[in-house]
Amino acid sequence: MNPKSVIFCCSWSSYPGLQLSESLYEDPGKQNNIIISMCSGRVSAELILEAFNNDAWGVMVASCPNEKCEHDANYKTRRRIILLQKMLEQFGIKPERIKLEWIDKGEAAKLKLAIDDFSNELRKMGPVLSIN
Amino acid sequence: MPKPKVAFYWCASCGGCEEAIVDLNEDILKVVELVDIVFWPCAMDFKYDDVRKMKDNEITVAFINGAIRTDEQEEMANLLRKKAQIVVAFGSCSHLGGIPGLANFWDRETIFESSYGKGCPSVDNPDGIVPQTVSKVPEGELTLPAFHNTVKSLDQVIDVDYYIPGCAPPPYLTMKAIVAILSGELPEKGAILAPEKTLCDECSLNDSKPEKISIKEIKRISEVISDPEKCFLAEGVICMGPVTRSGCSEEGDGKCISANMPCRGCFGPPPEVKDVGGKMISALASIVGLEGEENMSEEDVEKLINQIVDPAGYFYRFSLPTSLLRRKRMSNPAKEDRYNG
Repeated sequence: MNPKSVIFCCSWSSYPGLQLSESLYEDPGKQNNIIISMCSGRVSAELILEAFNNDAWGVMVASCPNEKCEHDANYKTRRRIILLQKMLEQFGIKPERIKLEWIDKGEAAKLKLAIDDFSNELRKMGPVLSIN
Repeated sequence: MPKPKVAFYWCASCGGCEEAIVDLNEDILKVVELVDIVFWPCAMDFKYDDVRKMKDNEITVAFINGAIRTDEQEEMANLLRKKAQIVVAFGSCSHLGGIPGLANFWDRETIFESSYGKGCPSVDNPDGIVPQTVSKVPEGELTLPAFHNTVKSLDQVIDVDYYIPGCAPPPYLTMKAIVAILSGELPEKGAILAPEKTLCDECSLNDSKPEKISIKEIKRISEVISDPEKCFLAEGVICMGPVTRSGCSEEGDGKCISANMPCRGCFGPPPEVKDVGGKMISALASIVGLEGEENMSEEDVEKLINQIVDPAGYFYRFSLPTSLLRRKRMSNPAKEDRYNG
């Protein structure tokens, strides 16, 4: 079974590179749902929870590295994700199912690798336990 | 003309919502003049059969408080739905799941183990006897309602017309709702009969709030002597005001805030908030460690965040069953266990 993941990419840094990277478009199982966000700061915890509510196996947020985010939102994103990971653990959802990656402009290859690694980790973990 | 008939019922609750009805004080006499109370197990002697014998829709309005934890509660909720024209979910537990809903961090097996098994140090139960739905005794069969694995809010079990939030609902909102129902001036179905703004919007401590809040250290309310004139968040104490609906006090200021306690979130989310915990994480992450954030290492941030001891329990204190994730994922929550009769 292919892991079902949601990847949030920043419209200004990681996503333009991703568009240029042909290999990423070869995603036959459509297992990675890539969503463009205006900034990683815009990826609210509610959005991530919504992904898990829709049976995502994991969520990755690709954010600009330190000092590179034009809105200084990446620091808030880091804190948001650490707190969310801690909370998800209380729900029996492994914190490793949420990943924050620092991806700068022109680092499409790094992003592709990160997505592949994340998919592999999720494949090992399998889907989140069902509650029904 | 016959008087409209009103029913009150309690499910998994503490009795506080019943108190809230009694807290109408003299106003309750006005209510009794206008309506016939046909069912109120906490205060008056009625039997379930009295309700079963009623015609469908015979009751004008049923106020149901408490979450749904057992078969009996689910059965009564369904029965009242059939017999009442309007069902009002009364109080945090029926509205959102409430405090009993925190049990969704466990399942039936772990709860029974901690109540009747070795998990409970004050219980002496060497034979491991646990409640059964059916027990055979010489006189015949004894039955108990089945205990569900997961606690639900009222609208997860039956169709609900209106909600009155709060733990417990303030009498002024209850009275307003009763007047609206009796006069036929009803809002749209599904409405929460309370203001829509957040508690922070209405809070008088707003004046004390600095332009930018940056929390250096998270403190629990028991660890500080808080200044009654100061915003709790500015003091580093987590207050649920930013993600909670206002209306707990007629005067605008929050009830808990006026008692120098941070808001705990019993009124539930305002309309624009989908998930209280998610929203609270976003709100807190924006202000915890804001000052000097660019110089903090991953470890510094983790250390700071770890000061929030029980995020899920704190944020979903009143709303776990109606949160996006609803309950803890257990190894096999759906399995039939030995407690299921």
